[in-house]
Formats: sequence, C-alpha cells, structure tokens
Amino acid sequence: MKMAALCSEFGDLVQIKKQLISVISLCKERGLLHSSKWASELAFALDRLPKDELPPSSPFTEEDAQDLDALTLAKSYFDLKEYDRSAYFLKGCCSRKAYFLYMYSRYLSGEKKKDDETVDSLGPLEKGQVRNEALRELRVELSKKHNAGELDGFTLYLYGVVLRKLDLLKEAVEVFVEAIHMLPLHWGAWLELSNLVTNIEMLKSLSLPDCWIKDFFMAHMYTELQMIKEALQKYQNLIEAGFSKSTYIISQIAVAYHNIRDIDQALALFNELREQDPYRIDNMDTFSNLLYVKSMKPELSYLAHNLVEIDKYRVETCCVIGNYYSLRSQHEKAALYFQRALKLNPRCLGAWTLMGHEYMEMKNTSAAIQAYRHAIEVNKRDYRAWYGLGQTYEILKMPFYCLYYYRKAHQLRPNDSRMLVALGESYEKLSQQLEAKKCYWRAYSVGDVEKMALLKLAKLHEQLNESDDAAQCYMLYIQDIFSCGEQLEHAEVSTALRYLGQYYFKNKLYDEASLCAQRCCDYNDAREEGKALLRQISQVRDQIETPSADLFAPLSNNNTPVRRVSPLNLISFTP
Amino acid sequence: MASVHESLYFNPMMTNGVVHANVFGIKDWVTPYKISVLALLYDMTASKITLPERRRLNKLILPLQQGPDLTLGQFLKTVEECCPQTAYAVKLRLHEMADGELKDMEYFFSTLPTPFTAFDSEAYKTSVVGLFMRHMLLAYNKLSFSQVYKLYKSLQHYYHSHYAKPTDGQVDLPALVADDSDMDLTSTEDTVGDRIDREEMDTPLHESELRNDNTPSRGPLSQKQAEYFLARQAYLLKNDENKALKPAALQEELNNMLKFNPDFAEAHYLNYLNSMRVQDIFLSAHCLLHYFDRLILSGNEGKSNGDEGYGRSLRYAALNLASLHCRFGHYQQADLALQEAIRIAQESNDHVCLQHCLSWLYTLEQMKGSDSTVLTEDSVKMAAHFCLPYLASLGIQSLVQQGATQGKTAHKLMDALKDTDILHWKHSLSELIEISLAQTTSIWRMYGKSTMALQQAQLLLNMSSLEPVNFGVQQNNTEAFAVALCHLAELHAEQGLYGAVSEILLHLKEQFPPHSQHAKLWMLCDLKIQFERHMNEGKYHLAEPLVTAIAAINKTEGLYRKGQVLKALNRSTEAYSVLQRLQVHCERTKCTEVVIRVMLSTAELHWESSGFSTALPLLLQALSLARQHHLQQLASETILHLAFTQLMLGVPEHALRVLHEAIEPVLAHGSVMDKGRALLLTARCQMAVAGFRPNGQGQADLPLAVLAVDTLNEAAAYFSKLNCKERLRDVHYLQAQLHRSLGQTSQCNKSAMLFRLLDQELQSPAPPVSMRL
Repeated sequence: MKMAALCSEFGDLVQIKKQLISVISLCKERGLLHSSKWASELAFALDRLPKDELPPSSPFTEEDAQDLDALTLAKSYFDLKEYDRSAYFLKGCCSRKAYFLYMYSRYLSGEKKKDDETVDSLGPLEKGQVRNEALRELRVELSKKHNAGELDGFTLYLYGVVLRKLDLLKEAVEVFVEAIHMLPLHWGAWLELSNLVTNIEMLKSLSLPDCWIKDFFMAHMYTELQMIKEALQKYQNLIEAGFSKSTYIISQIAVAYHNIRDIDQALALFNELREQDPYRIDNMDTFSNLLYVKSMKPELSYLAHNLVEIDKYRVETCCVIGNYYSLRSQHEKAALYFQRALKLNPRCLGAWTLMGHEYMEMKNTSAAIQAYRHAIEVNKRDYRAWYGLGQTYEILKMPFYCLYYYRKAHQLRPNDSRMLVALGESYEKLSQQLEAKKCYWRAYSVGDVEKMALLKLAKLHEQLNESDDAAQCYMLYIQDIFSCGEQLEHAEVSTALRYLGQYYFKNKLYDEASLCAQRCCDYNDAREEGKALLRQISQVRDQIETPSADLFAPLSNNNTPVRRVSPLNLISFTP
Repeated sequence: MASVHESLYFNPMMTNGVVHANVFGIKDWVTPYKISVLALLYDMTASKITLPERRRLNKLILPLQQGPDLTLGQFLKTVEECCPQTAYAVKLRLHEMADGELKDMEYFFSTLPTPFTAFDSEAYKTSVVGLFMRHMLLAYNKLSFSQVYKLYKSLQHYYHSHYAKPTDGQVDLPALVADDSDMDLTSTEDTVGDRIDREEMDTPLHESELRNDNTPSRGPLSQKQAEYFLARQAYLLKNDENKALKPAALQEELNNMLKFNPDFAEAHYLNYLNSMRVQDIFLSAHCLLHYFDRLILSGNEGKSNGDEGYGRSLRYAALNLASLHCRFGHYQQADLALQEAIRIAQESNDHVCLQHCLSWLYTLEQMKGSDSTVLTEDSVKMAAHFCLPYLASLGIQSLVQQGATQGKTAHKLMDALKDTDILHWKHSLSELIEISLAQTTSIWRMYGKSTMALQQAQLLLNMSSLEPVNFGVQQNNTEAFAVALCHLAELHAEQGLYGAVSEILLHLKEQFPPHSQHAKLWMLCDLKIQFERHMNEGKYHLAEPLVTAIAAINKTEGLYRKGQVLKALNRSTEAYSVLQRLQVHCERTKCTEVVIRVMLSTAELHWESSGFSTALPLLLQALSLARQHHLQQLASETILHLAFTQLMLGVPEHALRVLHEAIEPVLAHGSVMDKGRALLLTARCQMAVAGFRPNGQGQADLPLAVLAVDTLNEAAAYFSKLNCKERLRDVHYLQAQLHRSLGQTSQCNKSAMLFRLLDQELQSPAPPVSMRL
C-alpha cells in the first residue's frame, strides 16, 4: 500500500524532470555549482523529454533587464573567482538574482581571504582568530531583509550559511527550514540542514515541505544518523519509483552498506558505479576502504593509478593512495598521503582516522593519539577514532584507561561486535571476568564479525573451571566457524576440539570424545594429542568390556555423568 | 556551495602529523604591545632621565617584557607613574608610526640599537634588554610582506582604539579585539560599563590583571594572558572557590578559549576541575582524558627536561583518573586505575610517581573503610626517603588521624604533629599547616578538651595566608577552614551561644555555597546543632524531621539520632533495635566514639525499664573504652551515668564519690547541658545522702541539704540558659521540697509556683523524676 502511495507521489516523473531542469538553470545563474551538479545528475538519470515538453526559461522582469549587463559582467568575474570585483559591479542592482550574487560574492570573498590569511598569520597569538570579516556585515544586512520578508529561497539559504558560520546554529536551522519551504528543489539548503541535525528527535521535530525531494533528504539523514536499515529502505523505494539509473543513489546505497560492513554488497555496487561513471572521484575513498578490508591489492592498485590519472590533487585520491600504501605495509608513505589529504581539506574526517591507524602501525603512539583526537574534534561521533584511541592505550598497556574509549565507541555503535570484544579483552586484563563474559556473550549475540568472541568466552570459562559452559561455547564456536563456510586465518578449531575431546572423556562420553579426537587429527598442532586421546579412550573401553565388567556393571548402566548437559542445549545458557 | 569552502586552510605548523606551536622555534611574536615596549626601551636608552625615575623604569622592564599584553592605556599609565616625560616620548613615537605610513614603522625597526654593535649600552646582546630586542628583531625580520602589513594595521588599531575610548577609563579588552560591538549582538556592553567603574587606573599592574578575571573577556587571549588566566583560576578553585568565576561563566570562558586555540591543553584540565566542582562525572572524565591526550603530544618536548617524554604523563594520566573516580566514590574503578598507574610506574622505575600512587592507595583504603596503617607507614618512610616532604607529612597526618581513632596516646600524636609542623614551616607548605591546625582542633575536641580546641581553631582562623597569590588575605576556602569553623560553631552551641552559632553558620554558608565541595561539612554541623537544640528544649516533633536530613549526609550519625528521638518519644523497642544495629555497625567500622554513645543510650533505655543493674556492665564497658581512647568528655558522661545508676540502686554515697571524680572535667570542658545535668545529679545525691525523703519524713542532714539547694540553683541557671524546661521543672520541684524541709516557706512557695507554671506550660505529664539523668 505504501509503495503505491509512493509511486503516485513519484508518478509524474516527467514533472520531476521539468522541475529539475528549471532548478538547474536557476542554480547555475547564481553560481551554486554543487546544487546544480546534484540536480543535473538526478535529471540525467531520468528519461529525456521531448522538445515541446521542455520547461520555459524563467520569466524575465523589468528589473532583470535593467541589471542584465552588470549581472553578466559580474557573473563572469565571479566564475573567474574575482569575487570583490564581481561584488563591486553588482552594487546597487535591484533584481533578486543580482542581489543574491552580490551577497554571495561578498561571502565567498571573505572566505577566500580568511583562507589566505591563515597561511601568514602573526604567530600563535592570532592562530584560530582569523575569521571571515564579511560575515557580520552580511548577517546584519540579511537579517534586516529577512525581517522585512524580502528574501527569496536562495538568499535565505545564504543567510542560513552565514548564521551557521557565526555559530548561531539554532537560528540557522530555522532559516534553512524556511529556505526549503520557499524553494524545495535547492538541494544545497537540504544538505546544509542535514549538517545541523544531530539526532532523530530533532529530525522528527522539523516541519519539512511535502515534496519528492524530502525522501532524498530523509534517506541521506538516516545514513548520517547510522539508521542504515531505514536508509536502505528509503533508497530502495526511490529506485523503484524510477530513479534506478541515478549514480547518486547507487553511491549512497554503497556507502550505507559500507557502514553496516556488508562488504560484498558494497563492493558490487561500487563496481557498478565505476562502470557507469568511470571518471568519478567522489566516494572512491570509501571504495578503497572496502578493497583494503578485503585485501584486494590489484584492484586497489588499479583504482589508485586510475584516480591519479584523473586528478591527483583530490582528497579522495590521496586517501586511496594512502590505503594502497598501507596495504603494502609502507606506512610512512601512507601517512604522507593522508597528510596531503588533510592539507587539501583539514576537516576530512576519514583521513585523520586513517592517519592515526598508520601511526599506530609505525608504533608512533603519540602521533596516533593526536591524529585520533583531531578526528574526534572534527566529528565527535566518529567511532573509529574512539576505537583507535582505545587501541593505542591498549598497546601502551593501560587496559583500564582504554576502557573509557572503548565504551565511547561502543556507545556510538552498540551493535558492533569489535568494540564489545575489545571491551571484553580489557575487562579480562583487569581480571573482571564477569564483565568480560557479559561483553563476549553480547558480542556473539549481536553477530560477531571476527568470530573471536565465543572462543574467548570459552577460554574464559575454561580458566574459571566452568567446564560445562566452556564446552558449550566451544561447541557453538565450532558450529559458527563451519557454518560461515569460509576459512578464517586465526580460527582455532583445533583448540576447541581438543578441549571438547578432553571434556567428553572426563564425562565418560566416549563416543563423542573419540569423534572429537579423530577430528583433532585433521589439524597439525593437535594431531599428537588427538592420537593420545584416542589411545586413552580405547584403553578405558577395553577395561570396561574386559573381565572386571561385572564390577563396573552398575556403573555402565549409569555411565552418564550426573550433570550431563547436552552441549547443544542452549536453553539454560546464560553466562 | 558553502561546504566546499569549508576552511580550506592548511596548517603550516603541522609536520609529521603533529602540530607544533612554534614552527620556527620563535617564542615571541611581534605584537603592537611589544612595539610599545620596544619604543619605551629605545627612549630609555636615547634620552636623559633623572636617576630616581630611571630606577623606577628599570624595575618596570622585566614585568613589562614578560607579562601579558596590555592595552595602550594601561601601558602608558604604568610608564607615566614612573616617568611622565618618557611616557610622553613613547606616545609621540607611537603616534608617529600609527598616524604615518608603513615606512615609519619600518624606519623605527631599523633605528633600533642593534644589540651586536652597542657594546656600552644596556642593550648589549647578553643583557635582558638586549635579549628581548634580539628576539623582537629576529621575529620582525622573519615576517613576510603581508605579515608586516598586518602588523602595521594592528598597530594602528591598537593606537587608535586607545583614543577612540574615553580616556578616563581604559577598557582592558585584549589588544586585537575588534570594537565593532554594535554589530555583535552577543556583546557584553553592560559589563563594559562595569569595568570602567572598577578600573581605577592607579592600581598596580598585577592588581588590574586580577580584576580582569571577574569580567568575562571576549575574544582571543594572548598565550601569556591565557596561561595567567588558567593558572589563576586553577589556584582559586583549589584555595578560594568563591573568588573564582562561577562554574557556568568559567565554562563559557574556557569554551571561548578553546574555540580560538584548540591546542591549549591546559584549558581542558581547568575544564576538568570545573566539572568536578559541579559533580559532573561525565564531563570531567572526558576533559581529563582529553587533557592527557593532548599532553602526551607536547610531552615530546619534555624530553629535554630530563623526563622520559610522554611515558611520564601516561602514568600521571592513570593516577589522575584514579583520583577522579575516588572523588566520585567509585572505589573499585579507582582501584583499577591505581593498579594500572602503579604497574606503569614500576615498569619505568619512576619512584616519585610510585610514591604518589602509594599515598593514593592508602587514601583509597581509608575511604573504603579498611585499615591502612601499615600502608601509610610504608608510604611515609618511602616519601621521606625520596625527599618528598609534602607526601611524607600528608602521610603522617593521615597516620595521626588513624591513630587518634584507634586510641593511640595523645602525646605521641601531638609529637608527630609537632614534627610535621616543623617540616611544614621549613618548606612553607602552607596548605599542610592549615590542615595540621584543623586536625589538632579535631583531636582536642575528640578528647573533650573544648578550651584547647577553641584555641587551636582560633589560631587557624586568625592566621594570615602564606600563599603567594593570596598573600595577606585572612582566609582561604580550604577544607581545613571549613572544619575549624564547624568545630567553632559546635563549641559555641554547646555553651548555648546560639546567636554566635548562627553568625558562624551564615559565614560558612557564604564561604562555602551549598553546591561546593565542602558544603556538606557545615550542613551536617548545622543540622546537628539544630537537633541538639530541639532535643534540649524537648521539642521532639521538631527534631524528628531533622533525622532524615542528617541521615542523608551521614548515615551513622543519622541512625544514632534516630535512636535518640525514638528513645525520647518513648518508643523504646524501636529505639533499642536501632541502637543495636548501630552498635554492630560501629564496632565493625571502629567508630569508638559512636559505640560509647550508643552504649550510654542503651543504658538509658535499661533505666526506663528499671533495669539499673543490667545497665551497670554496659556502663563499665563504656567507661573502659572511653578511658582507653582518652575520650574525656565521654568518660565523664559515662561516670555521670554510673553515678545515677548507683543512686538508683540505693548507694548514694558511692555515687557522690564517683561524681566527685567527674564533676571537675565536666565543669571545665563540658557543655552547658552536661554541667546542668551533673549538678542536678549531685544535688540529688546530696539529698539522698542527707537522708532526705520525698514525702518529707525522716531526719535530714541540714547542712548537706543547704549545699544541695545551692547546687540546684546553679543547675537551674544552666538549664534556663538552654531553655530546657523539663529539667527546670524537675529542679524547681526538688527545690520546693528542700525549702519545705528546711522550713523556708516563702522560697518553697516560690519554687512551687515556678514548678506549677512550667508544668502548665509543658502540659505533658511529668515523667517520674527518678527515671532520668
């Protein structure tokens, strides 16, 4: 039913296409390049319109005609990044388009100057003091106009940006919402709003216009807030509604899969994306992360070379190269490239974290801590940086200290087994076995990625002489390992089998014990023990069956131990 | 789209992933203020100045060079005080530069005497002035064109902002803040007005800086200003919380500082202290870890100082985490963190850190309530070995505290305290001196020597602070002062001086606002005094609600008070069970004082059921305990109880003899209530010895009866002081009887009338006189 409603909403794809085409030209005229890029990508994914269906260009008012010459001149200056010049010639123009471009050039001029200033500041005294001086003036002027109600969708957006830059976040959210209501098709405003929404409650409290673009926004928001399931659902709906060719949606879905660590799905999508859009650089750092995790060296190498050919001075390219070097264990070079990425954009979150990882590999813990801290400064919700900090302190042999960081990471990703296993290990080191057990069990329950939690849990039980629990865990572990099919490097099936063999032997379950012992012989490190156990079993069996059988007769009827619990009986299992 | 332009700056100070604040190794940067100082130095070398003026100026050089940046107004004012002529010259020179062109500034720098050439002048290269000039010249020469231009711009701004303001009040905003506050809607115009009022320009340099702290300064601070601000606030938080900024204001200030300079690690530490103040564990843990994460980075520089880099800060990070958990009462967590700190310290052979850990370890053990004497002794020995006087005497103080509760002899304790005092004065550990005095007060009080306690408390309160920052200020806001003041209040309450008590408590409330760390001390003290007062006046219904409040602050105390109220309300069974529970608890935690008091209360319960003989062993046990621990006041009280029991058992002669032993210390040190009760009891014993019968029959020993009348009069005076009507009624009753038997009818009638009046007022039926001490 819901699907039907959605389809009707999107039913008029032609209408959507028309809207997109008109908003593209609007954005272009105002120099809003990224919004027009987004809209164009989306429009490209839709079917072509026949000639007579094309939307008419926007009406031309008297004011526009008046400002035409100045605007054309200013726009060309603007395109050449001569913002001050552009603003100078636009002064006094009264059309809305000219006014927006006037304000926007002033804003950009301020930003550009700020960036330039930062490089030659007057020492630490001024560090961090450099700011866009134009912001305040812009705010005063825009707020006057805003109160008078003279702002259109684009200028409202600019006002919001100015407010956000001045750290007036609450006001900024209001203005962005207003801008969206005024001009729902301007994706830039939505995107700015998404940066300001911190949690789902806030998202729900916003009153947003009922437009097809809202679905894109919601899907984007769900991805940002780590509500991947909802995001995927949204994107699926969008694809079914007719946007199946959109590269934007494909990349977003791939990123979502990456976030929930569904690596194969994500890889497939990225490959598809690269086929459709071979010169794309956006999101390729995420792709390289996936390749890295899968240790796909040739693919990563190909990607890196390809991207360097396209544009070597892009953040994404640098990250890809960094990953490439990291996979080849050339960590110094990797760190160098991540640094380069950060020079290109210091607010690039992923690069900070990755650089931290590289420093960790190089055993430069202090630099690693710094890098992770920077990552956290950029985004407090970056669980990888918290996790990395925890690991750093773990390496420094401070298990209690790292608990805090792991807890933070766990808070941000409650269902990620890696944090839970790390927490459990720290607790184990602190001899807090009870807590450790809880962590491992939880890690197993949420779906253990590395398949280590059960093994650790079993070993913990073994240490504490809780042999029944240990046996159950080993049993589960073996099942888990074999059910996942693929061969894991660190799998310790032999350990589990060895323990189970001994366990059954002690409990006089000789059939099971001999089975385990036989399986033990498949593994090099446990072969001898397996054989020894087999010999013991046959000895004991001989004894039972030989003359003294009458002596053991009452026992043999009752040769099940008192506390025999089937290892597969999980009902009573609560660690 | 805006996000593309998201501060595209790259940080030139970052190498190898680590941001170095001083990429060129230059600590000093040329600022407009520094140019003014240079101008001053130049004029001092160039012109002729009279000798006294020159001397004053010379004294000024070092603070000006090393202090935080001042505004032009402040700067000129300080110079003018020393030498108006030079101040004018400096102003003129700055005016030339600021109103001229860029070349004027460049010309100024080129005319500065080069320290390498001027051999004879003060600006020779190794002198203080020469060094400063060299630094400045070097820094100036390294500036690029655009930086020079910027410097010139800021100099102009610096100069003109001085004249833009009314000259009578200099606003001490940091030099580079733009004054366009009309556009900044969040600007604090009202505080600007405030500041002008307060800014008396004739205050010395550091004083005017202190004032800055009260007004939130907007915008970035210079490195030195920020450091000074942090150091000062941290000091105030430790010693005098009221003078520090309010938690919210401080937080805002810190956020502001971190916004402009995110690499300023110390700000995180102050943030941690500030969050501790408001008991915010979440934020304080976060800030603490953040601080140490930051510190570890700068730790590389520490290598040159002889410490082995960031390993050291790691150890202290773990230690600090332990102390954090300790403060919040998470003993298990604290223990784990401490173990970690100890392990790392051991691995790296850091004895000093280990020593710190050890002293935390025994503190922790103590907080957990287990015996840590051995640990403490070890700690003291080790601390003495590693020459850490602070830790050593802290350990001794802690030992003394434990010794006092465990009944060590007084002279040993006092000796130990005296020895540590010598140590304190030698190393001028003012904080420990205060603690030591407060501790002596507490010990005397515990022993029941109220006069000595009073004297020690006064000594502490009248002592001037020895801290350099608060020098000469009478009082700090440390725990020691809170303790001493609380004792003072209780001592006054014992003497029935409630006016004084309320004044002291008012002062405490002002000094230690309810949210602050030591507020619980006076809260408990206040409640206890109120409770005692209500109990003495017989207003049990008023005392009862206080019990819950006391229990919230101190569980043991609350339970004891509950037992007392129940006893007073004649709910003996409940009272008995409460007291039993308390006794078991206190015997486990070794709270001897409370144990004795509980025993006394239990004995009183026995009296109510006329079980006088059953009370005796209990009282004897209490007596021996009290004597063993030198608790004189409790011992005297126990003797009173004993005497009463004996009286009731019909051996008043014995009772009187026992009483003689106790009456002296009670009259000397006891509270008014105790004095009254002791005298009342004496009178009753005297009456009994005199062979006096309530019904007036029998042959009484008249001289003894007269003595008893006197004793009763005295007791009545004490009871009326406390407004203790019930006991007053008893006194009048006995007086009337005595007078009657002595044949003094008029006095008899008077006492009888007083008795009647009180009886009517009290309404409750008089309990049998004999049943109560």
